[in-house]
Amino acid sequence: MLKAGFRSGANSVVMLHKTVPQVAQELHACIGCNECLLACPAVTESITIDVLNRETLAGPISVQVARFARSCYQCGACVAPCPVGLHRDDMMMWLKVRILRSGWGE
Amino acid sequence: MGGIVALTDQREQNKGETGYNWLFFVGGEAWYLRLFVIFLGTAVGGVFYVWYSQHSNDTSPDSIAGYTYAVIGTIFLLLAAVLYTLKRRSHKKRTVGQLHRSLNWHICFGVLGLVFLFLHSFGNFNPRTGTYALYGMIALAISGAAGRFLDRLVPRLITGEVHKALTVMGDDRMETISQKLQAIVVHNTQDLYGFAVVSGEKSHEASTSLVSLSGPVSSDFSFMHKDQALQTPWDLAYISLEATPQELSRDANHYRFIPDKKSELTRPGALMPGAQEHISELQEVEQAMQRELFYRYIIRYWRKFHILLALLTLALTLWHLIYAAQLLLPVLLHP
Repeated sequence: MLKAGFRSGANSVVMLHKTVPQVAQELHACIGCNECLLACPAVTESITIDVLNRETLAGPISVQVARFARSCYQCGACVAPCPVGLHRDDMMMWLKVRILRSGWGE
Repeated sequence: MGGIVALTDQREQNKGETGYNWLFFVGGEAWYLRLFVIFLGTAVGGVFYVWYSQHSNDTSPDSIAGYTYAVIGTIFLLLAAVLYTLKRRSHKKRTVGQLHRSLNWHICFGVLGLVFLFLHSFGNFNPRTGTYALYGMIALAISGAAGRFLDRLVPRLITGEVHKALTVMGDDRMETISQKLQAIVVHNTQDLYGFAVVSGEKSHEASTSLVSLSGPVSSDFSFMHKDQALQTPWDLAYISLEATPQELSRDANHYRFIPDKKSELTRPGALMPGAQEHISELQEVEQAMQRELFYRYIIRYWRKFHILLALLTLALTLWHLIYAAQLLLPVLLHP
């Protein structure tokens, strides 16, 4: 296919972020152990994993979660401690995109 | 999925926190406490420096005050390096947000250590070892401050690039454009040859399974093999006066048999309207993804650079301590 051709070319690029279906899949797989938040050096407030999971995909974003999303600097410290191998940084990236788009009046 | 469907109502639902500013600032009590500690430490060190300078003639790095500054500065730097590293590696009794507080203390102790070691010099930058160690510490502090700045700036840039690479619904934009482009190619291939597509075939297989029409026959070719050309029926009893599909296709505006140099169709991509725009969009997405990769490299390698600088500063400090020990030990052992 065309996409495969683009990626196998000289200027091949790798997709480093996840799409919403992939993020949704990871959110459903989250067991809520909180290990990612405990390992995060960016989170300043006491946020629960349930609230974060609920607000990541859709719906209104609370002030605490929005602050956390902006503070997240994609260091990847949350990935290694996850017992089920999920990528919290990718979930946070979608949250960041949502916040960015909401600021543009979308 | 239900969550994805809910995205359609995102505009209406998202009445909470909005907007992602460049270089936003999140303060809080803890942040101001660290700032106060930095100012307090600097003020105490500065006042003592002024007092000592006025009441003593021995204002050198190897004076009592100089050693005091050196010891306090070294303790602060060790606290900055060790506490945060240990906290990061230890998972015992950690609470949410504790690592961030440790990071703030890391910055606080790092700045205080630099201030006290600068005061330790007493403006004497002649010994190479001490000066190089001080330069190393200054570089370390600057790299840390720049790192914090990048931690705010670069994720915002990454988010902008990811926004370009995803559709409104959060799907892969490259995949979506590729599918559209593929559809255009198939459509134009069909128009170009003026062939009918065998019903039931998939669109991407259509270009290899085209069947020429030679008469006003039924469009149902399900009885035929896909590679078999249509034969004229043996019992064809009349010739229709209606236009054949080839004639219709030839007379249509979008297809001409006679080459015309002035025709719009002679322009590149005329037979594939929209394809060029989609290819440009694909290139834009590809460039966005390459920039995302570059920004992620900045975040990753800036940390490694900071750690490398810390190790270099440690080596220079040890060199300086060995140099100081060579001066001190003979005096202490043989007073």
